[in-house]
Parts: sequence; C-alpha cells; structure tokens
Amino acid sequence: MSTFSQALINGIALGGMYLILVLGFSIIWGVMGVINLAHGEFVMVGAYLAWVANEWLGSDPFLVVLPVFFILAAFGFVLQRILVNRVIDRPHLVSLLVMFGVSIILQNAMKLIFSADFRRNDTVLDGAWSLSERVSIPVTKFMVLLVALAVLVALHQFLQRTRTGKSIRAAAQNREAARIVGIDINKVYAITFALCLGMTGVAGALISPILSVQPFQGPPLTLKAFAITAMSGLGSVKGALGGAMVLGIIEAMLALYVDKIGTNLAVVASFVILVAALVLRPQGLFGGLRPVDATAS
Amino acid sequence: MTTGNGQQRSGTAQVITRTSDRVRPLLEVQDIYAGYYVGQDVLKGVTIKVHEGEIVCVIGPNGAGKSTVFKAVYGIIPVRSGRVLCDGRDITNIPPQQALQTAGITIVPQLRSVFAQMTVHENLELGMFLSRDKDRIRERIEYVYDLFPRLKERSKQEAGTMSGGEQRMLEIGRSLMWEPRLVLMDEPSAGLAPIITKQIFEAIRRLNAEIGLTVLMIEQNARQGLEASDRGYVIEVGRQTYEGRAEELLADDNVRRAFLGG
Repeated sequence: MSTFSQALINGIALGGMYLILVLGFSIIWGVMGVINLAHGEFVMVGAYLAWVANEWLGSDPFLVVLPVFFILAAFGFVLQRILVNRVIDRPHLVSLLVMFGVSIILQNAMKLIFSADFRRNDTVLDGAWSLSERVSIPVTKFMVLLVALAVLVALHQFLQRTRTGKSIRAAAQNREAARIVGIDINKVYAITFALCLGMTGVAGALISPILSVQPFQGPPLTLKAFAITAMSGLGSVKGALGGAMVLGIIEAMLALYVDKIGTNLAVVASFVILVAALVLRPQGLFGGLRPVDATAS
Repeated sequence: MTTGNGQQRSGTAQVITRTSDRVRPLLEVQDIYAGYYVGQDVLKGVTIKVHEGEIVCVIGPNGAGKSTVFKAVYGIIPVRSGRVLCDGRDITNIPPQQALQTAGITIVPQLRSVFAQMTVHENLELGMFLSRDKDRIRERIEYVYDLFPRLKERSKQEAGTMSGGEQRMLEIGRSLMWEPRLVLMDEPSAGLAPIITKQIFEAIRRLNAEIGLTVLMIEQNARQGLEASDRGYVIEVGRQTYEGRAEELLADDNVRRAFLGG
C-alpha cells in the first residue's frame, strides 16, 4: 500500500510538471493552429535564464518566475510580430518548418553562449517531506505542482472573465466571426503567443532544479507536450490538467509495477497512449477545441 | 456599368423611381471592381443602392460574385476601382472594425459564425466587443432577447449545441447588438430546412417592420429571398444584369426562367 501511495504521489508531482510544460504549447496550437516545434527550446531558454540568475545573483529559481515570464513574453510578442505572423495563414507545414528552424537556431545559439555542458540549478525548496516511514513528498516537484496549479487557475480566469481572454477564445473558435465583431486577430495572436511563451519560460525555470539544463534538452519536451496536447484536447485548459495528471500517474505506476521497465521506458507509455487516444478519441479525452483549420474557412 | 445590354434587359423589369430614390441612399456601391487576386477582378462594375428601412436582395448563380460584393463593402477584400458610400460618406476599403464603428454596418456571414463553445449570452456580448460600456451591453442584450425570446431561454446554453435555425437567429441577434444602420446577410437560408428558412425570412421582415432594420442580403434561394424583400438585383459574372422592385423581378420572364425555375 505504501509503495502504491508513493507512486501516486510521484505521479501527481510529475503531472504538475507536465501541466506547466504543456499549457503554452496547447494554447498556441488551439488558438493559432501553429504547432510550436520550438516549444522545448523556449523551455530550455527559461531554464537557462533561471540558471544564470542563480549563478550571478544567487536567486532561487522559484523567485525568478515572474521576470522569466515577462522576458519570454516580450520575446514571444516580437517573434510573433516579425516571424510567425507572416506564415500564420499558410498551411500547417509552413509554420511547422518555421518553428523547427527557430528551434535549431535557439539550440545552437545557446550552445555557443553556454557550451553543451550539463548544468544543474539549485533551489532551497529541496529534499523530501516524510509522511510516514516509507512515503514522502518530493518537495521541489510538489512546489512545481503548486505553481502550475496557480498558473492554471489564473489562466482559466483570464480566458473566461477578461475582455482580452474572451477575444482569444473567440478567435480560437471562429476566426472569421471574430473578425466580423471587430476583434483584431493579429493583436489576439500576438498576445496569445506572448502569454504562452511566458508560461513556457516559467516551466523552464521551474524544472531547472529537476532536469539538467543543456542546449539540447528541448526536443523530448516538445514531444511530450505534443503527446499530452493531442491526448487532452487542443487549447483546453482543464483538459491539459487531466492529460498531464493521467500521464504523470501512468508513468509513475509503470515505473513502479512493471518489472525492469525503468523510468526511461515508462516514457514510451506516453506515446502508446497518444496513439490510442488518436485512434479512439481524436477530439481529445477531455473535449477542447477542434483544430483551427477544420473550422475556419 | 453593364453597358447597353444590362440597361436594356433591366428595362424589362422596369426600374420604378420611388420617392426614396430621390433622397440619399444609406449604402451606395458605385461601379466597383474587386477580387481576391491582382488582375483577376471578380466584380466588374457592380452598382447597388440601399435606402434606409429597405430590404434589398441580391440573387444570381453560384460564382457570380454575390458574396464578394459583401466582402468588398465590409473591407475584407480590397476594392480596386469604384466607391462605396455610406450616407454619402466614402467608406471604400475601410477595415471591418471601422465599418462597424463609423458606418454602423454589420454582417451575418454565410458559414456558421457563432462561437460554438460559448454561451448564447457570451456570443451576444461579443457582438459589442468594440464597446467597453457594460451597462450599454446589458441593455442591448435585453433588447435582442426581447426580439428573440427563444435566445433568452437558451441564454446559458452553448451556442454550438443549438439547432441550425437557432444558431442563425443568434447570428442575426449578435449582428443587432451594435445597433447597426445596415445589416449585410450572406445567404440567411444556407443549410437550413425549408420550414426554418421560412421562419428566418419572417424574422427578417418582422425586424424590418418593428425596428426599421435595413437589410442587404444575398440569396441562393431566389424566390423566397425576393418575396421577403422590397427590391432586388441580379448579378451575373460580376455585373448586375437586372434590378427592380422585388415583385417585378418575381414576375419577369427572363428572371423567372433563369433563377426561379420557370
């Protein structure tokens, strides 16, 4: 029983990490119809920012969450205006390749600046809280979960209640109709891209004490975000929570109960689930938006 | 203009000069040329007038450029030559936001345009997206609910889960939120069952009678469209070939043969 509890706790903690990791990717895809292949690279940039802040200023990664958010958001706003905006109305493949290009540029730029050495970031929120002799809570991951949930709630409220949030949802659901009621689509896209990159940077800062920081850590994270998004429904905030938790718990359970599978092979689970989800419930386990190109004319 | 040919043929469906023709029309499309690609104009000289309080219907075969007229008026595609006037003011090539704000023109597009995963209430709210006056928005929503009690019943329902006819009502209701002077309706009957189509046309007539709504619509369903209208235009291959009062077009032999099934 205690091993089960431990696996469940690990799974939920892992789910928290996946949640913050997937939100930005899912919303950019759902709202703009852009599959952001450079997603993992923006996580990596956020992680490096947190690492640099720690090296130079001794700031804890949890303390630099807000500055990282704004730096990445500003970067996202500019990138959308000068690059993504030019390909947004083109077929999916064009934006896919553009973002792939961005990912290569970011990987190699960071390698030039920081070298390919693996870095590890430290946080004071470390160690484990023992609940009983054999069950404990990993503190860092638990804190990541809390921040992820806070971001989730804030994002949900923003999208549901504010005028800008409503315009983002409107543009995601029907581009043509949004234009008709006077919503400036380009502005909505710039805000969406900025917001999502901001959240993605925060994800990077948060996981910098958990995963090694290095220029080529991005692609596996992009794949993971892709799997969770496809599984949980495009641009669905609640779906992202469900998908992230389901995947986190399944991976933790597999690692525990399936002999010799190890945590690395447990990653395979996410792709098995992805394939199953695409075959059985292509609209996502938790609803969400249909792909933009299927609805917009 | 459509040269002698068009003039002559429209002569058969004689243009009656009504008193309203002498006052300035609310919308005046003057000999416009427009299209989606440079050098390939879909519209080659279209002239349309809509007076305040009128329902005007544009009919014509598929691909004649009916929808393109709307896109040009609303600023979605550029007008290369000719002018669009609203109340005498030049509104040629203004972007959609300005068409709404300065000219008070809204549009109900042909394809489903509700925000499917938002409630009826939120959909209506978004019709006033450009306004930040919350009291006014509430007031207008009540106004639309009065016109369409069905929408009030469905206020909390997700728009995408309603029937096609109800969604069309919602689209029309949303277009009224901004207190428009003119509503452009692109095939209000598209994709609806005949009985629902009838209801939609009745609703348009009722709005016209009750609040003096001015409507310029496009209809594939030429007979019902004209029956609900005061005047009509026929557009063929980017030019209008006939114009006249709706009942005259309905009675015209050429128009009947071509568009009304004999």
